[in-house]
Amino acid sequence: MKELKILYLYPDLLELYGDYGNIQVLKYRLEKRGFKAIIDKYCINDDAPDFNSYDLVFAGGGADNEQSILSKDLIKYKDDIKKAVQSGVFFLLICGAYQLFGKYYKGVEGNIVNGLAVFDYYTEAIEDRKKRCIGNIVISANLNGKETKVIGFENHGGQTFDINTSFGKVLYGNGNKFGDSQEGFMTENVIATYLHGPLLSKNPEVADYIIKYCLDRKYNENLILEKLDDTFETLCRNQLLEIFKDSQ
Amino acid sequence: MKNFIIVVIIKIMHIVLKIFGKNGGNLLGKLAYEWNPNIFKYFKIECPIVAVTATNGKTMTNNAIGHIFKTAGKKVISNVEGNNMETGILSTLLKNCTLTGKLNADFLVFEVDEGYVPVVFKDLKLDTLVILDFFRDQLDRNGEVETLILKINDFLKTYNGNLVLNNDDPNVARLGKANPENTNIKYFSVEKYDFATEKIKEAGEGKYCPFCNTELKYEYYQYSHIGKFVCPNCDFGNNKITTLATDIDLKNRSFKVDDITYNIRFNSIYNIYNFTACVCVASIYNIESETIKNALSTFVLNNGRLEEVEINGTPTVINLAKNPTGANVSLRILNEDDEEKELLFVLNDNIADGFDVSWIWDINFDKLNNVSRIITSGKRAYDIAIRIKTSGYPASKIEPYLSLSDAVNSFYSNNIKKYVIANYTSLQPTRKEIFKHK
Ligand SMILES: [Zn+2]
Repeated sequence: MKELKILYLYPDLLELYGDYGNIQVLKYRLEKRGFKAIIDKYCINDDAPDFNSYDLVFAGGGADNEQSILSKDLIKYKDDIKKAVQSGVFFLLICGAYQLFGKYYKGVEGNIVNGLAVFDYYTEAIEDRKKRCIGNIVISANLNGKETKVIGFENHGGQTFDINTSFGKVLYGNGNKFGDSQEGFMTENVIATYLHGPLLSKNPEVADYIIKYCLDRKYNENLILEKLDDTFETLCRNQLLEIFKDSQ
Repeated sequence: MKNFIIVVIIKIMHIVLKIFGKNGGNLLGKLAYEWNPNIFKYFKIECPIVAVTATNGKTMTNNAIGHIFKTAGKKVISNVEGNNMETGILSTLLKNCTLTGKLNADFLVFEVDEGYVPVVFKDLKLDTLVILDFFRDQLDRNGEVETLILKINDFLKTYNGNLVLNNDDPNVARLGKANPENTNIKYFSVEKYDFATEKIKEAGEGKYCPFCNTELKYEYYQYSHIGKFVCPNCDFGNNKITTLATDIDLKNRSFKVDDITYNIRFNSIYNIYNFTACVCVASIYNIESETIKNALSTFVLNNGRLEEVEINGTPTVINLAKNPTGANVSLRILNEDDEEKELLFVLNDNIADGFDVSWIWDINFDKLNNVSRIITSGKRAYDIAIRIKTSGYPASKIEPYLSLSDAVNSFYSNNIKKYVIANYTSLQPTRKEIFKHK
């Protein structure tokens, strides 16, 4: 049986916005097609994970306090993670994890939390603590040449700069900064984004993009994924896109 | 404006509102607070004030404490409708005071929003504060639970009154250390019940010791992060328990404290905690156990808080769920019941609910016990349908309806036992729709 190995980073610390749902969606869509999902969790003080042995690495968003605790831990693996990214392991990074993979995060008081610097972008907190980019968001992402509307919920104070390849163009909501035209960061094997929801729950095409990439890479093939019954997802997407269109 | 004049105007407005059959909610308090934010000082209160705060269980516990006092023949003034911010409490005081600000009662019992305890009791002398639990609410997903706890901790530093704390919630028990001078701290706890688990089953908060950051050790979890814990490093959690509930029997709906059996009308572990807190409060004021027994055996809340009703012969349990823990409490009751049943989940995303519905992913829908069909409704009917489907429940048995009346019609197309979970703004519309079928 074909299988994907997923590494879930800091499930106990990065768990503020139900991002774990992304793992559940991946598992669901793999198992429905007869593939196996192996999910390993890594928490602070666990043995060092072998990043390169995984097909997919996932990390979500957490509270500011938790994020600075774990950044010190994660930075130990900086070089391993870089190598894994370069060799093509897929990284799905949401919100806080998105920020941590950049050069740094500059807090409200000017304090710098060093990132892994796997990517060149950086994030600065907005001075007014109460101001955050909060709300529903729709972007248009290019998935294997197909423009796809991606729906989520953003909730971040950090403003991310120096993105050259974004996840998508903002159609509704803020994006990387207040009123930005771009959202997130993407390469062939990385999706880093502010979108909660959880992201994959309302965007089966993004989930399948990731699944296909990981299977193709692992088994060296060009798979056509079996269609699943996405009736609820389609209804949900149509309903929400209609609402956002009206309130634009 | 002079306080006396404010009270006179408010009294007149209250009478006018009454004539038009309106209650006014927070309105009167809001106006008075705008005219003079120091108006709390105006009231002459000679009786004890008892307040309840928590994320979940405020309304239930507030009403139950009031009911116990009333059963004991005491005159009680309380914000029973749940207007629990400073303006709501002010409204209750204004409606019940004399023109000179006197309150004629034996007890004032208030539920107070977690964020408003310091504001409300800046100028009102609090005699007993009950703190039940702190969970993550859908509205404060920015890590603000901690901010909230620290605020209350600050308030407690100079508080010397009775403090009734849930010793099984680390986020509550820690508040017992806010003021080392306070000798009136009472911890309550509940012994392990049949469905307690060794591992945490639902999303929870307190994982690390707030004093030394060591991971807390749990002997068992009752629900969410509520359970018997201790810090292996600094012994935090190892407190002397004033009120301990034992012999938890949810099937027969009873528990014991000091060998006295209390029969209740609810079958949730969550309510055992609420009522144990009530027993603790009642004992502070020397209410006889016979009276507490009578009061608890008759206490119900018919407002969608674990409300049990028969709809055209179909037994139905309705519960509000503003956050994952509220929903998980409902699902616990559902899973502890072996009978065949159907579930209706109504989810809105209005301002009062929070626009972000991702909290539904913190609800544990795994291995639902004998649920033959699930209907979803509300503005986010499809979101909750996707959530339930992804947990492994068969999609073919899930029916989403955006229209609440269609949902409820389909729900009552048979007479299989019903469980209903509704979030904040959907609760009353859902009840209304359900009661049409009565
Ligand atoms: Zn400790």
